[in-house]
Amino acid sequence: MTAKMTSYERLLAAYNIEEADRVPVAPINIYVIPYLEGMGIKEAQLGAEKLVDAYINNIELLGDAVHPFMTAQDHTGLLGRAGWDQTTLDWRVFEQFPPEGNIPSLYEKDFIEDYDDIFERGFSTIMFNKKLENNIFDRSVDEFLYLEYEYPHIYAKAWRRFVETTGIPLMCGGRACHPLDLLQYYRGIMNLTMDIFETPEKVHRILKMLAEYEAVRVMERAMIMGAGEVPGAEVIIFINGGPPGLSPQIFDDFYHPYAKQMIDMWVSRGFKVQCHWDNDLTPHLETIGKLADGIPRGYLMMDFEKTDMKKAKDIIGDRIALYGNVPSALLVYGSVQEIEDYCKKLIDDCAPGGGFVLAAECETPWDSKPENIRAMITTAEEYGQY
Amino acid sequence: MAQLSEAIAALDKDKVLEIVNADLGSGRDPMELVDEARQGLEIVGAKYEKGEFFLIELMRAAQVFQAAAAVLDPKLKELHGEAESKGKMVIGTVNGDIHDLGKNIVKVLLECKGVEVVDLGVNVPADKFIEAVRDNQPQVLGLSALLTASVPEMNTICTLLEEAGLREGLKVVCGGGIVGEVREEMKADFATVDANEGLKVIEGWLA
Repeated sequence: MTAKMTSYERLLAAYNIEEADRVPVAPINIYVIPYLEGMGIKEAQLGAEKLVDAYINNIELLGDAVHPFMTAQDHTGLLGRAGWDQTTLDWRVFEQFPPEGNIPSLYEKDFIEDYDDIFERGFSTIMFNKKLENNIFDRSVDEFLYLEYEYPHIYAKAWRRFVETTGIPLMCGGRACHPLDLLQYYRGIMNLTMDIFETPEKVHRILKMLAEYEAVRVMERAMIMGAGEVPGAEVIIFINGGPPGLSPQIFDDFYHPYAKQMIDMWVSRGFKVQCHWDNDLTPHLETIGKLADGIPRGYLMMDFEKTDMKKAKDIIGDRIALYGNVPSALLVYGSVQEIEDYCKKLIDDCAPGGGFVLAAECETPWDSKPENIRAMITTAEEYGQY
Repeated sequence: MAQLSEAIAALDKDKVLEIVNADLGSGRDPMELVDEARQGLEIVGAKYEKGEFFLIELMRAAQVFQAAAAVLDPKLKELHGEAESKGKMVIGTVNGDIHDLGKNIVKVLLECKGVEVVDLGVNVPADKFIEAVRDNQPQVLGLSALLTASVPEMNTICTLLEEAGLREGLKVVCGGGIVGEVREEMKADFATVDANEGLKVIEGWLA
């Protein structure tokens, strides 16, 4: 057995597809921790020091790394940022958890009505679209400047304290969306489907623009979070919540090239990438394996939601680390025994040879049973020994 | 196989419109063309089940069908009057959840099949579902959600339907990312994460 490692060493081993002392475990607990501490959603997003205290108070639920409330970087941006980014999306950020409020949710709308107009006049046509409903125009200049330029540094400082206090590394310094994901938000899934079949050249042109914008923006965020200094802040979490159900041909044509372009850009600058890709991507595993082409080992991890993990291990596990994917429903409605059984199966399927981090699928639901989160962690600690 | 069915199954919108316009011009009954177009949708559904098509092709097939229907509908009304509905369904995303992708796909596909769909939208309070069932008297109620917290809400609606005396004779189907994993927890008649599977079950109920 390998000598006892630190959490960060364990994660690096996973990225490198090497066996550590045991299987690392690092669920994305962005909502459940503030919920358990009785914090509201906006309070958690805007009160970095209190949020970090909440994480420290629940250290037994964290495992080997934390994703420092990654969505806060975008949702607080809603309150201040004014570029081609999450600001223009109709995210509703609520004060409280259910039943009084809800976790931040996106209202999908067809913000982009005319691609040619954007190609000609730029993104401002979106910003001044009257359908925007996130009140960005109601905010004061002082509020904008604080949230855009000051708060990210306050937020980063709080998380540095977390790492110094606990010795637990981050597992995310910045968050980017796949451009097809963004385009789904901006056009709606039905319109995007129509565009892919009827005006593919325009879809490609705007995907290229979005890919470049997102790739650059997120690196700035990760640098503020301490990439290169704070362990784990060098990881970019690369989100794709949709669109679901792409055929292999469309995935290969409209999804993969832009993902590859962005990942290559990040890796060439020293960032690691955790691809947080939802839905069932099992049909696309061969293509996903090509993401590793030309990049050194140790920089890429696939965080799957509904994808078949055993098949993922078989098809890409020798090149790309895997992360996931204990079902959300099980964490909320299942028993400790069910969680243990599921985690053991995941470990059996994915951990041999290294390159696996145990976690929930997508994020740990805010209403998860704490004993179930704990069961996930103890299963990695006890059953996951190499 | 009819040319129109083939063109729908090939997701070829231009070809579909070409055939529809040519056939209408030569005096064909639009009802026959609607039937052929629906056969095309059946082929798409079968390809989806076999793993040859994916969700995006299901959505595209519905769009192509709708493009044909936009041409055929006026002629249908002219010759046959208002089309007879194949059934009625009330659908909505439950309170606390705003995810509507699955709901919208099911709605469009059902409309293509001639089912009347009353869409209540997203974040719909339980009492609105009860009211809509009472007012519209559908054969089917569809409850959609993605979030884990939505499962109790769906069950609450089923309980309220029973208390209001509206559950008998009404089929309730739940759909969305969360429900397939907790089927045994649900009070509905059926729960699925698969739009096409839900569609087939609903069509079976309405047959």
